[in-house]
Amino acid sequence: MNRREVLLAGAAMSLASSPLMGTRAFAQAGAEIPIGVIWPLSGPSAQIGVDAKHALETAAEIVNGSFDIDVPTAKNAGLAGLGNARIKLIFADHQGDPQKGRAEAERLITQDKVVALVGAFHSSVSATVSASCERYGIPYLAADSSSPSLHRRNLKFFFRAAAHDEMFSGGMFDFLDAQKKAGKKIETVGLFFEDTIFGTDSSNVQRKLAADRGYKVVADIKYRSNSPSLTSEVQQIKSADPDVLLPSSYTTDSILLMKTMDELGYKPKNLVAQAAGFADKATFDAVGDKLAGLISRASFSIDMAAKRPSVAKVNEMFKARANRDLNDNTSRQLTSILVLADAIDRAKSTDGEKIRAALAATDTPGEKTIMPWKRIKFGEDGQNVDADPVLIQYIGGKFVTVYPENVAIATAKWPMNG
Amino acid sequence: MSDIAVTAPITSFVASRRRQLVIALIVFAAIALIPRAVSDVYTMNVLILTLLFAALSQSWNILGGYCGQVSLGHALYFGIGAYATSILFVKFGIVAWGGMLFGGILSALVALALGYPCFRLKGHYFSIATIVIAEIGLLLVHNWDYGGAALGIQWPFNPDSWWTLQFARNKVPYFYFVLGLFAVTWLVTYAIVESRWGYWWRAVKDDPDAAESLGVTVFNSKMGAAAISAFFTAIGGGFYAAFVSYIDPESVMHFRFSLLMALPAVLGGVGSLWGPAVGALILIPMAELTRSYLGGTGSGLDLVIYGLLVMVVSLTQPEGIMGIFKRSAKKADAKAEA
Repeated sequence: MNRREVLLAGAAMSLASSPLMGTRAFAQAGAEIPIGVIWPLSGPSAQIGVDAKHALETAAEIVNGSFDIDVPTAKNAGLAGLGNARIKLIFADHQGDPQKGRAEAERLITQDKVVALVGAFHSSVSATVSASCERYGIPYLAADSSSPSLHRRNLKFFFRAAAHDEMFSGGMFDFLDAQKKAGKKIETVGLFFEDTIFGTDSSNVQRKLAADRGYKVVADIKYRSNSPSLTSEVQQIKSADPDVLLPSSYTTDSILLMKTMDELGYKPKNLVAQAAGFADKATFDAVGDKLAGLISRASFSIDMAAKRPSVAKVNEMFKARANRDLNDNTSRQLTSILVLADAIDRAKSTDGEKIRAALAATDTPGEKTIMPWKRIKFGEDGQNVDADPVLIQYIGGKFVTVYPENVAIATAKWPMNG
Repeated sequence: MSDIAVTAPITSFVASRRRQLVIALIVFAAIALIPRAVSDVYTMNVLILTLLFAALSQSWNILGGYCGQVSLGHALYFGIGAYATSILFVKFGIVAWGGMLFGGILSALVALALGYPCFRLKGHYFSIATIVIAEIGLLLVHNWDYGGAALGIQWPFNPDSWWTLQFARNKVPYFYFVLGLFAVTWLVTYAIVESRWGYWWRAVKDDPDAAESLGVTVFNSKMGAAAISAFFTAIGGGFYAAFVSYIDPESVMHFRFSLLMALPAVLGGVGSLWGPAVGALILIPMAELTRSYLGGTGSGLDLVIYGLLVMVVSLTQPEGIMGIFKRSAKKADAKAEA
């Protein structure tokens, strides 16, 4: 055997023995409805995609099986409206690249004949994937892409059940206002945001809200995403020392930010984060000890399980797969499949137009979801306006809901480092 | 190829040049027939990307392969093309063709302006400078509000048209456009490599000091190569913008584009006429297919295989894949002589 043969044999063996090779051979007997799910399964955001996979598969299990959970499509096996047909998720990897996302979307639509697509974490990828869906006339559900620009493009087939960044930032400032009213000193805020679509959008809204509601922006720092060093940025924050620091960062940057602040001996008075990296388990694994008291906006709070049994049951199912609790991202991903399955069920058809019409007619009360939302009802632009965000605080190694009051189970520790 | 020109008689040189041209025309014609057999959107997408990167790598090869100035900053020119085309179309309603031409000329001018200081650097220092400049370009675009900054530019929905290069579902027009671009870059390379400039470039590549002493205007010939290379790279960038219909700084100016332009040429054979095309034919479909059919598993296996292949080729074929053909052609010649 020469070197080339050894390499070839090695490659062939690694192919054959890969435990995940069977994913595409999902097929089972009976009618199946293919749904395309597109996430970053490799590349810098791979962890998001891997988590998403567990969440989406849990959702498919709920839809396809028969469970006593108070969410739509859970009770009976499969979709009653389509002769108990099962849904089949077909995964695609976009690696965070809009071009790859578009190509994968077209592949799923034309080759796998998916009836709808769900994605995609990165807002830039959601932009191209939703455009492809529009062209082919099939619905696209943005599960966890939160850029507000997405639902403002007059797309007919675009839907988003979760909040967008303006709603999230609105919730964060509502909380600051409430703290101020309660007598806490909050005069200055610091913006710290990465330079892709997520950070830019988020900071634009925060800047405007701060001006409208009378907070002084003493630090307005844009940094390069996935930067190797944030030392000079942290020094700027340190010298400005805002009452509240509002970071909009993905995972690696969040970790680096916390490490750098620690190295430079800076403890922010308060951290109120725009989720993303600050809602990712990897961040807490790496720098959790430095994050005590962190407040993050969220779409989800696990302590709702105490009030709503369905949350606990769904979380148990998810935990069995992923070995961790549902979080901000995974809960939205899971919900997106339930929303879509419910619409297909009501449409009693796999036709794109009919599913679209059923989605547009969705009106699910909040109690029938696992989310803290008032309801799911899409506006003309496909955005659900009743997806109220919550604020959660990291205390004693876990998150507790601290705002708004109707779902809060504790009062916020404020200031976090005081 | 140059050694043939030196050792063989003139008639055989002309004949081999003509043979190359005929082979090329047959190859282009054969590729042009593919859409008659293939209609699948996904396959077309892979073919379009393959041809695009063959054309881009061919453009890169002019500067990096023939002239020996290894640029790892061609994403800058790609981005200039993409942004010029998008901005002119979305904000001024100028059709994609005009935008691409403008982007190409702008890129060539930028290449000249950057070449003026950078071509005084030699070898690795030049490569490092190109990386740095492209990264600066990326940062500038990230902060350029008029160009959409991080939000990028979304092309509006338009009816299918050759003028705007917008086709909602049909990929065939895109296919013919990139085939044309690839053919043009190939023919330009073909025409130039055996011209006086081509000889100059190779002399500069082998030994700039010796070339200078023999009367080659080293600096000007580098500048010429850079301008031509940048022009075609920007056209490719403009096409990419029209093809994807959405651009943001990361998706057109990221460092990976600089690598993706250099890699096919390096893999296929630097400074050879077919090297970039052969490299692209292997790299692009492999990257696309492994991602599509293995990437969905989330195991990252696609990237492992991709990396493995690049390693295997560079270890076993340091001259690139075209080296195999060259050697077997030499063997055949030797046999014929004996």
